[in-house]
Amino acid sequence: MSREVTLSPTPIDPAEVLRQFSAAVAGAGAVVSFTGLARGTTRDGQPVTALVLESHRSLTLRSMEDIAADAHARFAVAASRVIHREGRIAPGEAIVFVATAAPHRRAAFEAADYMMDRLKSEAVFWKREEGPGGSRWIEPTTDDAADLARWQNAGGTDAGRTDHARD
Amino acid sequence: MAELRPLFVDLCGKLADPCGRSITISIPTAGCAVAELRALIAAHDDDLATLLATTRVLFCVNDWIVAESDHVMPGDDVAVFPPVSGG
Repeated sequence: MSREVTLSPTPIDPAEVLRQFSAAVAGAGAVVSFTGLARGTTRDGQPVTALVLESHRSLTLRSMEDIAADAHARFAVAASRVIHREGRIAPGEAIVFVATAAPHRRAAFEAADYMMDRLKSEAVFWKREEGPGGSRWIEPTTDDAADLARWQNAGGTDAGRTDHARD
Repeated sequence: MAELRPLFVDLCGKLADPCGRSITISIPTAGCAVAELRALIAAHDDDLATLLATTRVLFCVNDWIVAESDHVMPGDDVAVFPPVSGG
């Protein structure tokens, strides 16, 4: 089971990372990838000139590695790749890239979904949006908490989805 | 009076707004409890005190999250975390 987690201070090239990951897991049966991009507007429609992600020099990476390890313990995935940006990110740039490889698609989809929900809520980052009106810290959102709750008390691969269907 | 030694404290996220990302706090040579350090940080700056009083913070000492009853020593690596936003 291979997993690789990195923090990147420079822009990510998701297509290239996916190409390398897919080549490394040739024969896996299923590869799923997700790329999160910095938005150009805030939740209430104001323009954003940059998203700034602050990290801690050791706990940020450790939090990401713990999430990847939990995904491997929970789903039948053969390999995963996580890259997260830190620092100043321009709208349209990739913030996060997650890829999983598994013998079958369900585990690959669910492991990627699980890692993203946890990265979005639990990874050790503090982020702020910069715009013409100044800078604003982003607090954890209730949506993130709801996404995370999908996976709690769900031992199997699809119990979380049952909860989500009620939303 | 106990002798005092400097302790460098990193302030993460919005906690850096009043005084920047790092402050120096004087603590006894024999160290102090994290709860006492919290009070010393609050005494450093009024705006920081307000943030500490209204934010649920965690103390990270030498790369581990610790309890307020734990002990910090001069030379320890201390960071104060507001709630994380996630990525």
